[in-house]
Amino acid sequence: MKPVTPRGFRDVLLTEAAERRAVVRGVGEVFEAWGYGFVETPVVEEYATLEAGAGGSLEGTAFRLFDVDGSLLALRPEMTVPIARVVASRLVGQPGPHRLCYVADVFREKESLRGEARQFAQAGVELVGASGPAADAEVVAVLVEALEAAGLPSFTVGIGTVAVLRALLAGSGLDEAWQAGVMRAAHERNLVETDRLAGDASLDPAVADALRAVPRLHGGAEAIERCRRYAAACGCAGAVDELAETWRLLEAAGVAERVRVDFGILRSFDYYTGMILEVYAPGLGLPLGGGGRYDGVLAAFGAPAPAAGFALSVERVQIALAEQGAAPRVRGLDAVVGGDDAAAVFAVARALRWSGRRVRLASLAGPSAIRAEADAAGAADAVLAIANREMASIGADGIPGAARPVPDAAAPAEAPTRTEGGERS
Amino acid sequence: MMATGRAPASGDGSGVGPAPLRMAVPKGALFDDTVALLLAAGVPIGGLAEPGRQLIVRAPGIDYIIGKPTDIPAYVAYGAADVAIAGKDMLIESALDVVEMADLLYGACRFVVAERLDAGEAVADKYRHLGVIRVATKYPRITELHFAAKGVQIEIVKLHGNIELAPLIGLADQVVDITATGTTLKMNRLRIVEDVLPSTARFIANPVALRCEADRVTDLADRLSRAAKMMGEDTT
Repeated sequence: MKPVTPRGFRDVLLTEAAERRAVVRGVGEVFEAWGYGFVETPVVEEYATLEAGAGGSLEGTAFRLFDVDGSLLALRPEMTVPIARVVASRLVGQPGPHRLCYVADVFREKESLRGEARQFAQAGVELVGASGPAADAEVVAVLVEALEAAGLPSFTVGIGTVAVLRALLAGSGLDEAWQAGVMRAAHERNLVETDRLAGDASLDPAVADALRAVPRLHGGAEAIERCRRYAAACGCAGAVDELAETWRLLEAAGVAERVRVDFGILRSFDYYTGMILEVYAPGLGLPLGGGGRYDGVLAAFGAPAPAAGFALSVERVQIALAEQGAAPRVRGLDAVVGGDDAAAVFAVARALRWSGRRVRLASLAGPSAIRAEADAAGAADAVLAIANREMASIGADGIPGAARPVPDAAAPAEAPTRTEGGERS
Repeated sequence: MMATGRAPASGDGSGVGPAPLRMAVPKGALFDDTVALLLAAGVPIGGLAEPGRQLIVRAPGIDYIIGKPTDIPAYVAYGAADVAIAGKDMLIESALDVVEMADLLYGACRFVVAERLDAGEAVADKYRHLGVIRVATKYPRITELHFAAKGVQIEIVKLHGNIELAPLIGLADQVVDITATGTTLKMNRLRIVEDVLPSTARFIANPVALRCEADRVTDLADRLSRAAKMMGEDTT
């Protein structure tokens, strides 16, 4: 048979994988610099857990499977609910706030199989146990710094809030079916339907005006003030306060020029309760990521706590980097080492690696073959290993130069890549 | 869905102004009215009225992309076009993530369920005995949603054209198709059983384009919406 990857899944190879590691490393270092700690969770969760945490938006998106006892499982469609489960079960009793972060693969099923991807890599943070504008602003600031660390030259974080729409609906005096209709239209980004529902004859004209205008408001501090005026006319000016304070803090944190306020943002996951955010790169038709405040999710697991976070699509960040000509420069091979004496080859290669170089063992022993292999691999150096702890550089003509001693392998000059838990980057 | 991104709109470095907005317009039935609406709204159209075989028409500030109506939502959802005009039917059928900004009122048509003029009680009778009816359509999603809402079990036969033929040759019991006047259905001795949904042209935007080009996109939506209302009043 000729093996294939399952539909909607793909392999990540060599250059793409190396660039992904570089992106994830830059982003992860920012997470850790803000005091967030990495966690890993199983790719599989109980379906009931995801359903309790994510609500109706799970329908049709979760990749479901049966356990041997017939219980329903699902591959995690995102990381927010699994991390909420961790906090509510594993970290219960520990004093918060918890600052957790992840780089993880998530899985989504598509209603109709159109050959779309079903596995995505996400990098994100969750700040659990802290509420208010300071916590919201922290999440936004981490996001901005993470994308800057990834090397992305141009991007915009849009922030909005569901609080205004929720307050307008609560004060509308109309029935639940109508309110649900407005909410659904907002989630579907259907302004035509929002306008139609705002035309309901029994609706207070001030609320109708606000429903039509607020989803279209965007900008900076002035957009927040315009929104406040619409909300004030409906007696719910307070719904804007938190976002206004968050904006003030973002200005103070020096990241506001990367951020804009947009009251039209509503994410498709419907568990958000306050601030909502999305990240855009110019020219890319889909958001790089999103998130917000989801104060209700932990309560669904019996451990009520405020929480906020974001997730970045690693694939889309890579696309944006490539589009903006800023793909991470990945370090290649430095040298190819070969020779007749295999033991000498190993010793020389080891010494060179200890001196911080990336070294490959040659397939053939002849100097010109080693040179050719180095050229093909893009390595600057071709090295001939000679017994007696000596080596010689092979020139472009394939001829070895003078023999010289191998650097002392017992005393590594610099090996910074080996210091962190044995991980070699 | 996987973002593929797009080439920068002004890759030739010729202009210092913002990149032109990319607007997809549907060829076919909606095309002439779309051109008329753009003119009425004072939007520059360049050579769009007589595109010949060109699929991309440049006008000041706007690049028009002429596409098949069914493909327009995909152009926008993936960001190849920033905005577009598309039939509501195509939006429902594609089920992609786009922002529906304005109802442009023209291009009105109905989705209907139709069956043979002489079907009589035959379809209902078949449903009683077999518990399923076969429906031919170009629009499986709209069809599925409609019958599911009614609690009627159906089997869908997806066809690409000449839908009205299906009941005549015994391929399906009923059809779900689009009709403006009902003439084609009558000519093929079919009768309308019920309405599925009305459809008109909509102005849609890519969610990210709406955020990154908010002023230009909302301004265009407002102008088109106002012009559409005026044109609607003229014809009524």
